[in-house]
Amino acid sequence: MLISRKMKIVLKILTYLTLVLFTLFCLFPFIWMALTALRPREEIRSTNPTLWIENPTLENITNVLTNTPFLTFFQNSVIVAFSATFLSIVVSIFSGYTLSRFMKYSGVKLVSFTMLLSQMVPPVLLLIPLYVIMNQYGILNTHLSLIVAYTTFTIPLCSFMLTSFFASIPTDLEEAAEMDGCSKIATIIRIVLPISIPGVIATGLYAFVNAWNEFMFGYVFINDSELTTLTPGIMLFQGIYGTDWGSIMSASVLSVLPVLVVFVYIQRYLIEGMAAGAVKG
Amino acid sequence: MNNRENRTLKRETRSKLIAYAFILPALLFFLFIVAYPLFTVLWDSFQIKNLINPETQGFAGLDNYISVLQNPNFIPALWNTIGWTVLSVTGEYVLGITSALALNQKIKGRAIFRGIIIIPWVVPIVIAGMTWTWMLTPDYGVLNIWMADLGIIDEPYYWLGEKDTSLLTVVIVNIWRSFPFYTICFLAALQAVNREMVEAAAIDGAGIITRFRKIILPELKSVSMVLIFIHVIWTFINFDFIWIMTQGGPARASETLPIMIYKFAMEEFNVGIASALSSMMLAFMLLVFIMYYLYTSTKNKG
Repeated sequence: MLISRKMKIVLKILTYLTLVLFTLFCLFPFIWMALTALRPREEIRSTNPTLWIENPTLENITNVLTNTPFLTFFQNSVIVAFSATFLSIVVSIFSGYTLSRFMKYSGVKLVSFTMLLSQMVPPVLLLIPLYVIMNQYGILNTHLSLIVAYTTFTIPLCSFMLTSFFASIPTDLEEAAEMDGCSKIATIIRIVLPISIPGVIATGLYAFVNAWNEFMFGYVFINDSELTTLTPGIMLFQGIYGTDWGSIMSASVLSVLPVLVVFVYIQRYLIEGMAAGAVKG
Repeated sequence: MNNRENRTLKRETRSKLIAYAFILPALLFFLFIVAYPLFTVLWDSFQIKNLINPETQGFAGLDNYISVLQNPNFIPALWNTIGWTVLSVTGEYVLGITSALALNQKIKGRAIFRGIIIIPWVVPIVIAGMTWTWMLTPDYGVLNIWMADLGIIDEPYYWLGEKDTSLLTVVIVNIWRSFPFYTICFLAALQAVNREMVEAAAIDGAGIITRFRKIILPELKSVSMVLIFIHVIWTFINFDFIWIMTQGGPARASETLPIMIYKFAMEEFNVGIASALSSMMLAFMLLVFIMYYLYTSTKNKG
């Protein structure tokens, strides 16, 4: 017997207690967000807040959807996030494949190292020159500026994620295909990609969440409210609607939902990838 | 013979070409969006460059650096940045290790608890910031009212609007959003700890605390180093949290260096000075990186 029975029970209770406290800490803001979104105005402005809604209502949500530019912001975020995801997946499939097959070349090694280093360069320090460069190329205040920035900053991790997926595929199949006269690109598309679909999806979802959640570039590069994405858009909301917390929280709920859905799907891959990176590190 | 050698040589060149062609797009993105701007920052930091007066240009020498250092807001912002980083990383570390130890026990519903604990990490920072701002508003903020009801505070307090508490409040929100990353990494490391060793130590009479200190904690050392290293940098350069919740206010009480860079660049349009401050932060990061590198390489040797 390693520890006494009494001790074991005490430990178990302590563990549950800790976990329940953590659950409350992590979930409460979301619960409160949802409750505020569903409350009528009078209940939001109550000096006696409760966990119960007297008269639940959808008026905040319909208000956000019909009287505010929320749907425009949402649409912009969808355009930017999908384009950035697509672009960074296409680029990363080729770079990831190269990293998994051609590490013997010194040039490839060098690129891999620079990608690792570029992960450490904080975007905020590049903000000014990027702003100037985008201005010079005339793409400031367009979705393209955001798509390019988001793609660049997700390529390294996406490449590394895909590299580890590709590395687990035996090369025999590819060699056979090449013997039959298949070009390298055709081999990747016909042989490698179909086997790595789960990896590609997980990587894509990571890129998507990253683009969806980004704030600073969206806030600085876009001036036109017709082109604004969700995260800076929600901050605009606070400027315009001030203390209309019902609407702000409704907008928050609506913007968090897609991320949460995606997250439930990639949780396993993401956690494994993160953990592997840190433990090995 | 010669012919065959020639052919393998050709194949080798071809495969080399393919490798470089495949990696080129990723390299181009890096060169245009990371390397070139990085170089520009260093270059501009020695130039007189102001977007309002584009005509006045020229070599500034170290003038930009001197103006940054002599700016009366620099030293307070530096201290704020250090405080913000140290408090955030410490808090995240403590919560991360506690939650990971609890999740590592054999209990029911572990997967659900784990799933819930990681949720804050997935949410956009803006939304985390907005929700906490709302919960902390002085008039109707639920946390304010409940704390007053419980007698913790006498009356609702404007946490984000008072000089003494604004930065500390943002620290707490940052901890809330960032600690799950530690949890997941610690959990993975804990699962690699040799159970037999822990049990053997227990049979030899080592108590829970001794076992934790002598066996488990050393196992977590390398993960801890990586986590602290990454997060010192991430927190040090973080712009979003503070900008969203306080914009550095009230009266610059929560202004950190990244906020200062933003204000130099986007409010005063002084690219030279903003670049000088950015370069100083880059130098600091490089220093942390070198220290980390030296630490890990001596450790691996020994």
